[in-house]
Amino acid sequence: MDWVAVALKDDVPPGVVIPSRIEDTDLAIWCTPSGRYHAWSDRCPHRGMRLSHGFVRGDTLACIYHGWQYNEEGACDYIPAHPKLTPPNTICVPTYTCTEAGGVIWVSLNKTDSALPALGGRKPVRSLPINLSATDLAAHFGAEDYTTIAVVSDHDVLIAVQPCTDNACMAHVLASPDTDRTTVSRWLEDLRATLEGMPA
Amino acid sequence: MTASIDNHWYPVAMISGIHAPRETLLLGKKITLGRERGTCWVKDASGNELPIVERFGHLWTSPGQPNRDLFTIPEADSPGRRLVDVGSVKVKCSPLRAVENFLDIAHFPFVHTDILGAEPHTEVDRYDVKIREEVDEVWATKVKFFQPQAAKSAEGGITTEYMYRVPAPTCSVLYKTCPPRPGEWDVITLFVQPLTDEWCEVWPWMALYDDDSTMSEMVSFQQLIFMQDRSILENQLPRKLPLDPGMETPTQADMTSVAYRRWLKKIGYTYGAQLVAA
Repeated sequence: MDWVAVALKDDVPPGVVIPSRIEDTDLAIWCTPSGRYHAWSDRCPHRGMRLSHGFVRGDTLACIYHGWQYNEEGACDYIPAHPKLTPPNTICVPTYTCTEAGGVIWVSLNKTDSALPALGGRKPVRSLPINLSATDLAAHFGAEDYTTIAVVSDHDVLIAVQPCTDNACMAHVLASPDTDRTTVSRWLEDLRATLEGMPA
Repeated sequence: MTASIDNHWYPVAMISGIHAPRETLLLGKKITLGRERGTCWVKDASGNELPIVERFGHLWTSPGQPNRDLFTIPEADSPGRRLVDVGSVKVKCSPLRAVENFLDIAHFPFVHTDILGAEPHTEVDRYDVKIREEVDEVWATKVKFFQPQAAKSAEGGITTEYMYRVPAPTCSVLYKTCPPRPGEWDVITLFVQPLTDEWCEVWPWMALYDDDSTMSEMVSFQQLIFMQDRSILENQLPRKLPLDPGMETPTQADMTSVAYRRWLKKIGYTYGAQLVAA
């Protein structure tokens, strides 16, 4: 699996960290004060605390438990309990490929040369969790793959699907700039009601 | 289950809180407890009576055959102390993670900000840790830390001295500088009931010198601290405590935790532990 949408850019402003996930991989998605995005394993190597509960300080992400700071490469560069210590370079957080394009934050868990999904000039509207697997959501629209699904029957909409668990996904929805956002948002909620109401 | 796990004493209730008989879990198994005419009892799922001890305001039991008495805290018996039943908090984590967090001071500035610690006072100096073989307990001594408000009774920041003691796998006793009485130790304990290996009920209990604070002020202070700890404990991955080195990375400030994990492994206490790196 290559590029997967994990959040909309507006939901991760500079200086913010949020939790996300792709299937079994828990992620901490964060943005530096100058606007660079990172996707890391959501686990501090020290005591296993979720880094998505941490805080961005300068160009580092700090764990909320003991304040250990990790630079943009994921390497620990400060341990507050030992301020004079240079942390060994073995202390680091697994990092993933992450970039922002078209107002969406994209992550690839593996090294990839693939191009980012084409969005056709559509702009992000909102994200909505749906209690349905990504595969089943794709199947509902007759799509083979679920990375992105174009739906042109009702509105000119593109759904970037984030597989979360075996029975839940996140739908990041984009629409052409001239579409009414409220209408698209209601369409998405109706879609969710329909999908979640369907017998398993 | 094995004897190395069953044959310990476990806290299962605050005695003052036992009214009608009630069910709870111990090591994943249902037990029932109650109190009649001033005497407490505990029964397993088959109705067999389990041994009990009433101590430190709490009811203790064991599903096995404990080969020694429940530990004592002689300091807590000295006159003039206020004995504080804090109540309980259920936490979705391994009982061992709850104990380990209690043994940790490096998190104070970040989790208990402006109460038990504050930046820039984050440094943890070297302290002494040993497994006292003669009593089979883990002890950390000469632990010092700067605290903005060390206790309800503290006025302003002080450098607090701590001693930590682990007298049983799911219990810890903290001896701490007593702000109104230099030379004496406040006693704060964490008694942890393993409901399952990833879910516990934590019963803090205190024996303090504090003539000014009301009981509810002392309880509220400790509950605030523990609520802050819970936000950490329910978000550590994995929920179980890794005992094998490699999965987590300790530093010198974690010497107590390292000794605790080593001691658990030595005595074969694996309930709530993760033994193979996942």
